[in-house]
Amino acid sequence: MCPGPLSVSMKGSKIKQSPTLQRENDEIVLDDSMGSSPKSKTFLNDITSILVILKATGLMPLYVTLTAYELGPPKILNRIYSIAIHFMVHAMTIFNMYMLFTGGSNQLFYSYRETDNINYWIEILLCIVTYTTTVVVCSKNSKAFLKILNETLKVDEEIQQQFSATIVNDCGFAVKFIILILIFQWYIVLLKILLINEPLTVTSYVIISVYSIQNALSSIFIVYSSILLRLLSVRFAYLNSIINGYTYKEQQKTRRFRTRIPTKDQATLPPPMSSFPEDSLFAFRMYNKLLRLYKSVNESCSLILVVYMGYSFYSITTTTYNLFVQITTQLEMSLNILQICFALLFSHTAMLALLSRCSGEATDQANLTSQILARVYEKSKEYQNIVDKFLTKSIKQEMQFTAYGFFVIDNSTLFKIFSAVTTYLVILIQFKQLEESKLDDSGGQTTTTTPALASTAAMNETIQ
Amino acid sequence: MSQQQTVQTILLHFSELFLLCKVMGIYPQNWKVFQRYHDLKKSNVGVLFVIFVMLAIVVLYNLLIFSFSEEDSTLKASQSTLTFVIGIFLTYIGLIMMITDQLSAIRNQKHLGEIYDRIRKVDERLYRIGCVVNNSVLELRIRIMIALTFVCEITIMIAAYIVLLDHTKWNSLLWIFSCLPTLYNSLDKIWFSTTLYALQQRFAVINRALEDMVQVHERYKAMMAHRKRSGSNNMVKNKNVINDILFDLGHEESLKLNYLQNELRGSGLAGKLGKNRVKPVITVANSMNNFNQFQSIKKQPTKSAINIHYESELSNVSRVEDKLNDFCQLHDEICEIGKKLNELWSYSILVLMAYGFLIFTAQLYFLYCATQDQPIPSLFLSAKNALITATFLLYTAGKCVYIIYLSWRTSLESKHTGICLHKCGVVADDNNLYEIINHLSLKLLNHSVDFTACGFFSLDMETLYGVAGGITSYLIILIQFNLAAQQAKDAASSHGTNDPSQISNGADNSSEDVNDYSTALTTLMTSTASTIITASSSALN
Repeated sequence: MCPGPLSVSMKGSKIKQSPTLQRENDEIVLDDSMGSSPKSKTFLNDITSILVILKATGLMPLYVTLTAYELGPPKILNRIYSIAIHFMVHAMTIFNMYMLFTGGSNQLFYSYRETDNINYWIEILLCIVTYTTTVVVCSKNSKAFLKILNETLKVDEEIQQQFSATIVNDCGFAVKFIILILIFQWYIVLLKILLINEPLTVTSYVIISVYSIQNALSSIFIVYSSILLRLLSVRFAYLNSIINGYTYKEQQKTRRFRTRIPTKDQATLPPPMSSFPEDSLFAFRMYNKLLRLYKSVNESCSLILVVYMGYSFYSITTTTYNLFVQITTQLEMSLNILQICFALLFSHTAMLALLSRCSGEATDQANLTSQILARVYEKSKEYQNIVDKFLTKSIKQEMQFTAYGFFVIDNSTLFKIFSAVTTYLVILIQFKQLEESKLDDSGGQTTTTTPALASTAAMNETIQ
Repeated sequence: MSQQQTVQTILLHFSELFLLCKVMGIYPQNWKVFQRYHDLKKSNVGVLFVIFVMLAIVVLYNLLIFSFSEEDSTLKASQSTLTFVIGIFLTYIGLIMMITDQLSAIRNQKHLGEIYDRIRKVDERLYRIGCVVNNSVLELRIRIMIALTFVCEITIMIAAYIVLLDHTKWNSLLWIFSCLPTLYNSLDKIWFSTTLYALQQRFAVINRALEDMVQVHERYKAMMAHRKRSGSNNMVKNKNVINDILFDLGHEESLKLNYLQNELRGSGLAGKLGKNRVKPVITVANSMNNFNQFQSIKKQPTKSAINIHYESELSNVSRVEDKLNDFCQLHDEICEIGKKLNELWSYSILVLMAYGFLIFTAQLYFLYCATQDQPIPSLFLSAKNALITATFLLYTAGKCVYIIYLSWRTSLESKHTGICLHKCGVVADDNNLYEIINHLSLKLLNHSVDFTACGFFSLDMETLYGVAGGITSYLIILIQFNLAAQQAKDAASSHGTNDPSQISNGADNSSEDVNDYSTALTTLMTSTASTIITASSSALN
């Protein structure tokens, strides 16, 4: 079954699907909306749009909603649909690769400079690699993704039972980012088509549009993984708020209120200390579950994240370099290229910023729990032991969201990526100047080569 | 109320600095409330005044740049667009820094008062425990820093005006405004660093109180030991022989052994027998302490009155537990205040670090250019004189380094508390106390105060080392570019006489030189561009 309106994913009408398939899906949607109870609102309702896109493109399995808090594995028909989509994607990829390697796409590489063409070529190739990795990893880890959703739902259910509280997931950013990605990719496609003067062949159209679709889908997957992280961080934050009620400051407040105004409404007051063991043990259990979830999210996404980050690093570097070249050559500053550069830069930076911010947030919230628990002061040995056990356990707990173990993703990652981009940019600019000075005067200028190269080497050493 | 009179807010010592900041339009808070109650209250008029001052300085600074830009017209004409944009950025980073400071002051005006309120509460609690913080040091520090700032700013400005500028032109008077942004920034940073120092002082007070407890207890023990040696040995004979052996081993080792024995046997027994049961081993091992206490109480009336001084707090577990709990809570509260403080100033510190890095590199590079008689932009004309440059660099570096150093020291001081706490445990050598200390040190482990610039990098000595390395390597790169350009120029002029195709090249020498200069500038600036992009993207989200 496939819940949710499919029209959302058809907004850009990127995914070419047969009309029969679409109708079929619409019927399924109707069935599903009648089947599931409307009053039970889980976090899945908040992120319907992105789930629908991912399901339609085969990145997520078309799962079955068993109950409000449980999802089942996909049916055979839906599984066949996913596999068909995968085949289509891979066929497209192979076609594109063939065209790229055999020269059917020469029309796209119109630039006068050889290096620019090579850069563009590599960029398209990297994009294909990124998207293919995303598809392959997603199809391999489809069970893991389903499990993550299920586990999160279970945590929600338990919290619902224990505290009868629903967690507010502010996932509104997802839709905004998806719209942003779609608009930017359309914009880039239009600009690229306008940029080429001669009439385009079908191959060029296909390559440009597929490149954009792949770019968009990889970005959407990044948005999805940030949403997962956000969901986790919201839940961590909820646990923190529960434990926060028992810290010495809050407890002091209670004492003050109770002595002064006994009839103060109890809702605003922190809970009494007597319920601490029960609540804290529940919180610890949930915390461990969330921690496991956090790790499994990391495991199932990290390969994609590495590839995507590598791709966007390359893309940002070459785009900035292009921008630099465009601005410095005063002869023909093409506005179209400038716009493409800015659009690419902006969309990649936004993705990286979103990812690093969400993972940083989740890590911070998870680390905050032990800090908050350290503020629980109680005379009784029993309570002290509860606190001590958790704190001892959390000493050696590595709370890091890594990209396949290569590097940690948090706020400082953005800083590191941009300093690396700067370094490579400087090197690229130096090479460009070397080339130009060689072209300008072939003789008598060889002396420039040595210091420039030496500086590159020196910088490489110092930065590393 | 009596306590509130004895413990006053540290803002009392900030009055001069606040007056200065208020008059110059850095802080928007209400002056009258501050004068009367020493409290920072929000003020809308103040906000308007700050914005007015900000706009006025922006206009005047632009006027300065505009009037000086005529001298650079030859430089500017041949520059490419990007280099021009980058040059503007290098010129305006001082102004950006000032605007960031003022905007964050407006944003923080409510929270700043809360911080000082929290510090006052911490002081009150410290006073109740018996620790007094000496706040008058803060006033002294503020005065010294203000004096240093003004001396540096005025020296740089006047020296540059007298030595390097043309007195006949009226618009060279506009040079005065070139120092305003840095002055404003310095005053803001004095405020920050003094508050940070106050926090460090409070950590130090807690640490000292713990150390004092240790020392008192050691003296107390030494006293008891002395008495025991000199006194009759008949009571000891009844006790276990181990005590004597342990005693001869000297203090430290005996203590450690004692504790280890307790732990090992105690835990082994505790696993089997449960907690509430009396453990025979421990009573034997602890007998020395109990015995000492017993002895001291018994012999006090007979001995001299000095003995009363040697009562140690650490021997009274239940009382000490409260005190240690208090210390731990205070430590946590100070850490929280430190985090909040860092958060309030995070953007301005980030910009300050970017400014320091850029301006330091640029000034050194232009100093090199000036020694080679090459043209430099007019805003960096102080680079023409080595002495002024040295003063300027010292001033800028001092500001950045002091803030980094202070943050580093504060977080070190906060980490030191755990060590002091364990010293208490080692000296007291009591099983119950050890349990308490283990519990508290687990808590202390989770009180972290790390000062970062927006989370991008932490403010510690490692960063300072990295920045120094960065400046050096970028400087070398820039100078290599410059040398290469120079060599190219020489080669072109020597070739130009022989080869007719090179003549046009030789004629274009000046523009080529400028081009090379602009390239070097570009190289420098790309690094900043990235910093700015990073900052803006994090602000976007």
